[in-house]
Amino acid sequence: MEALEHFLPQVWFVILGLFLFLYVTLDGFDLGVGILSLTASDEESRSILMTSLGNIWDANETWLVLVGGTLFGAFPLAYATVLHALYIPVSVMVGGLILRAIAFEFRENSVRSKRLWNLAFGAGSFLAALGQGFAVGTVFEGIAVDAAGHFVGGIWDWLSWKSILVALTLIQGYVLIGSTYLVMKTTGALQQTHYKTAKLAAVTTFLGAIFITVSTPIFYEPIRDRMFDLLYLFAAIPLLGSVLVALLLRSLGQEQERMPFVWTVLIFLLSFVGLGLIIFPYIIPPQVTIYQAAASPSALVFMIIFIGFLIPIMLFYNIYNYVVFRGKITQAHEGD
Amino acid sequence: MEFLSDTVVLSRMQFALTAIFHMLWPVLSTGMAIYLVVIEGLWLKTRQRDYYLHARFWAKLYVLNFGIGVASGLPMEFQFGTNWAPFSEAVGDFFGSILGFEGAMAFMLEAGFLGIMLFGWDRVPPLMHWLATIMVAFGANLSTFWILTANSWLQTPAGGEFVAGKFIVSNYFQAILNPFMLNSFLHMFFATLETSLFVIGGISAWYILNRRHPEFFVRSLKVVLVIALIVAPLQIFIGHLSAEQVYHYQPSKLAAMEAQWETIPAGSSPAWSLVALPNNQEGRNQWEVKVPGMLSYLLELKPTLSEPVKGLKEWQPQDRPHMVGLIYYSFRIMSGIGVFLAGLMGFSLWRWLRGQLKAEAISNQKLMLWGWLFAAPLGYVAVECGWIVRCVGRQPWTVYGELRTADMATPLPAPEVLTSLLGFAGMYSLLFVGALYFGSRIIRKGPNLDLPLPLTISQDNLEPMQHQPDQRPVEAQQ
Repeated sequence: MEALEHFLPQVWFVILGLFLFLYVTLDGFDLGVGILSLTASDEESRSILMTSLGNIWDANETWLVLVGGTLFGAFPLAYATVLHALYIPVSVMVGGLILRAIAFEFRENSVRSKRLWNLAFGAGSFLAALGQGFAVGTVFEGIAVDAAGHFVGGIWDWLSWKSILVALTLIQGYVLIGSTYLVMKTTGALQQTHYKTAKLAAVTTFLGAIFITVSTPIFYEPIRDRMFDLLYLFAAIPLLGSVLVALLLRSLGQEQERMPFVWTVLIFLLSFVGLGLIIFPYIIPPQVTIYQAAASPSALVFMIIFIGFLIPIMLFYNIYNYVVFRGKITQAHEGD
Repeated sequence: MEFLSDTVVLSRMQFALTAIFHMLWPVLSTGMAIYLVVIEGLWLKTRQRDYYLHARFWAKLYVLNFGIGVASGLPMEFQFGTNWAPFSEAVGDFFGSILGFEGAMAFMLEAGFLGIMLFGWDRVPPLMHWLATIMVAFGANLSTFWILTANSWLQTPAGGEFVAGKFIVSNYFQAILNPFMLNSFLHMFFATLETSLFVIGGISAWYILNRRHPEFFVRSLKVVLVIALIVAPLQIFIGHLSAEQVYHYQPSKLAAMEAQWETIPAGSSPAWSLVALPNNQEGRNQWEVKVPGMLSYLLELKPTLSEPVKGLKEWQPQDRPHMVGLIYYSFRIMSGIGVFLAGLMGFSLWRWLRGQLKAEAISNQKLMLWGWLFAAPLGYVAVECGWIVRCVGRQPWTVYGELRTADMATPLPAPEVLTSLLGFAGMYSLLFVGALYFGSRIIRKGPNLDLPLPLTISQDNLEPMQHQPDQRPVEAQQ
């Protein structure tokens, strides 16, 4: 029984990680494209940018809803405490996502107010990424809780130089994956532009990641201990990361079309595994573990039955959606 | 303005604002999706081009509505944690799992196939496209199922018990199949369908009144009328069953719905209050108009009550709902609209049987068409009123009889909650104005009757009559 009480929260930690990874990668390029649209030079290219997301942004955003739902069901204490601590960043993220969503619908139907919705699309994407960056940075840095695991800090606790750094790096990462997605989906001048933005974002993301990786063990004792426990692993991850960045830059230099996106996804995956290993077994660092925050074993089993078995099906029809709309976007406005 | 510094009140206002505003959009996303499945199915079966054009036209309104539903729904997923953290912790085992199921089963299915439904006409075969539409409709209605399961559980908690303020589930299926669940789900399912039908019917009536493509929009009006024929009366019956359940399980809510302060004993045949001015401070109605002997008919379809109807004074003031007037009138408006819509449906059926709905005759049916136009927004009003009765009537409880709303709010500083409340209010106003503006633009522009059939319809799939050897687009020949 004790083994089960350990095993089930671990399973849900992995499932939650999977959903979060899918969200960060998939909506990551949506948000990146949104941020990039702020720099697009003309209406035609902005239209192509938005058309490239038209059929998928909604499904991609739904992974975030799944993250929320599974966190609530599998780790109710973490859902309550983390969201309490992150009141402002989460509100900013939600506000940004609302702006992004309505920009898609309103721009499509507007004639004179297109500029306003272009701005809403770009600014909404930026705000959503910013809120997410602060959220990740704060959780990583630690949340002040009492013995029962309830948040006892202040409403502005999330704001620190460290979380600002994480937020900026995440935005760079989104711009990077957005650029490589556009390299894959566009042609001509638009593609050339995004080879350039991808190179730039690859360098800035890499610098941010190095800074975070180096500063973390210096400033955070619990994380330092953990990193020295798994020294080989935590030496391997930055090395592997550097190799991936080199491969990414090389593929961009050779103007390959698909590989830049693939390398970027692998960089995301690697960073994700690294962060997951540092945080585990905590879900509200630095005090509350997944075992303390988990729902009862029966709830976790029940959720595996209803959600766990749906994961392959969800992945299947999401992939089908991508297959149906594969290929380059050459014209704005799909269909009618 | 004392409430401006009260976090509980502000969090409640924020929840009410986001829930009431969000509710406007899923109504069409779920109900109109069923209509789209029907209309696309009719096209596949009859291969009449008009049905295809209908599917394309209504889908434009559908996607506008859908996007705003997604946008306005996001805060709902997170504010249980941000604003109601103690609640989330207490009931996460059940309530949180159900929200997780909603995401995995319903939202993902809907979102995963929406792209194909909207943009995939030329990319997948017609049957596959229809399957995508079915999946969108199925996903949307599954979300109705799960959200009503979760909400019904708040009304009639079952399947476990509260130990030290935390709900421990002993039987999940019992918790899901709690007493309110089935009726509440059906009531909401038919509410979204009925509202959508009258929206589609109302817009069709507007085109006919303006003599724009009357023969095209008579089609949608008739399809809608046929479905409403079943839905409108059935909804009144299910509504009655729901009220009966409130009578048994939530007597304090029933007392507020009827503004009944004193207990009525079993065996009597009391009057039913039609209009009243409830005064919560004094615990009485300042005046009211009553229909003699009617309450027992409404509650039990019998001349006398078999159980007492408890009055509000049975409970201490802190244990009963306070916004009696709001609950009382919301209930009356909702029921009144339900009866009106059924009446309009009956009237239209009579006109149809008299042969007045033919394309060449229908423009003369001014009264009926204006009735449909007037009815278009009524379903929304009824849905909102119903939710107000359901959730304001449940107060002071979040989980009826178990957890008090006042204890469930996150201890946040009031100014930050006020800021987010004002932020949502501002943003939702923008959404609302934008939706009305762009929605009416789509309607004024009207259907594109020159839209070519999907590229996936090859020559060999066509009916022999439509087969054109010169390979020109089919519609050019009609």
